[in-house]
Amino acid sequence: MLKTRFWLLFGPLALWMTAFLILPYAQVLVQSFYTVDDFGLLQPGFSLDSYRRFATGPLYYGTLGKTFVLAGAVTLGCLLLSLPLAYYIAFKARRNKTLLYTLIILPLWVSYIVRAYAWKTILGEEGVLNTFLMYVGLTHEPIHLLLYSDVAVFICMVHIYTPFVLMPIYTAFEQIPKSLIEASKDLGAGRWTTFRQVVFPLSLPGIIAGGTFSFVLSLGDFLAPILLGGPNTLFISNIFQNMFGTSNDKPLGSAVGIVLLVVVLLILELSGRAEKRYSSLESA
Amino acid sequence: MKKLLLSALTVALTASVWSCGGEKKSESAASESTGQTSVADFKGKTLNILCWEGYADKKFTQAFEEKYGVTIKGTYFGSSDELIAKLTAGGGEVYDIVTPSPDMAQALVERDLVQPIDLKKITHYDSLAGKLRSMQDVVKDGQTYGVPFTWGPDYLVYNADVIKTEPTSWNELFKPEYKGKVALWDDISSLYLAGMLLGYDKPDKGGIYNMTEPQLAEVKKKLMQLKPQVRKYWVTAGELDNLMKNKEVTLAVGWPLTPATLKKEGMNVKGLIPKEGATGWIDRLMITKNTANKDLAEAWIDYITQAENMAKVGEVTNYSVANPNAKRFMSAELQEITQMNNTDYYFERLNFWQYVKNRKRYNEIWNEIKSGA
Repeated sequence: MLKTRFWLLFGPLALWMTAFLILPYAQVLVQSFYTVDDFGLLQPGFSLDSYRRFATGPLYYGTLGKTFVLAGAVTLGCLLLSLPLAYYIAFKARRNKTLLYTLIILPLWVSYIVRAYAWKTILGEEGVLNTFLMYVGLTHEPIHLLLYSDVAVFICMVHIYTPFVLMPIYTAFEQIPKSLIEASKDLGAGRWTTFRQVVFPLSLPGIIAGGTFSFVLSLGDFLAPILLGGPNTLFISNIFQNMFGTSNDKPLGSAVGIVLLVVVLLILELSGRAEKRYSSLESA
Repeated sequence: MKKLLLSALTVALTASVWSCGGEKKSESAASESTGQTSVADFKGKTLNILCWEGYADKKFTQAFEEKYGVTIKGTYFGSSDELIAKLTAGGGEVYDIVTPSPDMAQALVERDLVQPIDLKKITHYDSLAGKLRSMQDVVKDGQTYGVPFTWGPDYLVYNADVIKTEPTSWNELFKPEYKGKVALWDDISSLYLAGMLLGYDKPDKGGIYNMTEPQLAEVKKKLMQLKPQVRKYWVTAGELDNLMKNKEVTLAVGWPLTPATLKKEGMNVKGLIPKEGATGWIDRLMITKNTANKDLAEAWIDYITQAENMAKVGEVTNYSVANPNAKRFMSAELQEITQMNNTDYYFERLNFWQYVKNRKRYNEIWNEIKSGA
């Protein structure tokens, strides 16, 4: 009886997971050991060739490294924007709290592509920003580097992933009992000390969760580099996309995918542990 | 509820009777005009075409569909490799016709994925441009596997408002005043271009499709040298239009589509073949090996290669078409856009793509250039 109930509840989920998670990943894993002929047709077998090419080709590991740097920069940017903003909404804004929070979340309802294209209009040679800068006389020539560069990709990604970072941080701030802050003040700590000693440590789980979100999401982003990137912008997910598309080298693409997957799982594991460690502070 | 069901049924019935009548009418009209193929054989069948975007447009398929009572279904692919992926992943029996570019056509023949075409059934075959018919990459054992459809150059596109004197050489791309003002196609064909500038297309035109490792290293050097000039590697024709329109770039490698589109928007953008020449592509109609609709596929090829219908293809795609007589059905403007008024000039200067055996390596080099490694 218990068993039927278990399968009734768990069965659909198990089926779903098998069909859309386990099987595809298994296929990607198996495929990464195949080879292709010069026509792009898969040759089953067991070969570590794709992994060898990944490990020895600066194109592949170099791009992965570069992607890491950018994902890190995006995460930092998101955190620097989110922390003060979330702090303000959680502790300072009284009546406008809901409105402000909604304004932050609102962009999530707009399609990614639309937002990326909006940045094209803003950053372009004859875009809103350049026109404005030239109008006020800050520059005489349009700034070339704004669009079709790593800078543009960075700006767009920070814009897109900030809500993902802000939400957990805001939630963490909200959960801090006001009494703790009052106690800190009663004990003579200034605003900055209170933030450093009380608020920040207690919000660490939220910060870690948000940072992980933006880091992992920007690691896998391929649209922003395509739409806003310049001649030097090539991310690991673009290589991945290229291997499954124009290059038609599925084994290498799968190998890149597996490497990326392992890296992401590692990050998630580390961040999970960190979160746990700091949330135990809370209960202590 | 019952009433609703009943009325729905009546509507459906009437509609089907009415449409049957319609088909019958077009059927008799069809048999009058061709008189050779038994139209009834095709009725209700579906012709699946795996093609580049725009190659199965309603504007020229509809009349055929009505004539034979068939449906034409176009599935678009975005790159040559996507074509291979779709065709080999169980697509061999799904699609009846494919329209590969010459970087893949020969491979399809060699891989036995397509079958010979009975040229006797293509009544207008002899009126297609001789230069295109004479290309041997789709001929095997004396049999022809592909019928020319559309073609065009990868040539130099420039903003004539900025560049007052007409460029004559590809080296214009390297001029310091156009730093950050150049756009190249995000495709291995950029390697062909560099190979051409390095003279690897001499004496054998096919040299740039078959470059050796040292030659590829030189090509990479050349393209890295061009890199500071490049604002963006464009992915779609629409993207290049936007780059030109927003004045992000002044010079680009592009297709006639771009000047044609931008002219309509009032811009003075022109295209030309520089003195070093340019590469070009020719898309063919090919019939898949395992099709169950060979007769219908041949009927379609016969239909679409007729001058009047080819003119419509040119109108939709803005590409040059294989039947020179099509220009009689084109406006002077469209003739210019599609170069149909000047085909010989283009044929003389174009180096048509060929199958690149070392395609994987070409792709890798191209990625290395993009990554700046």
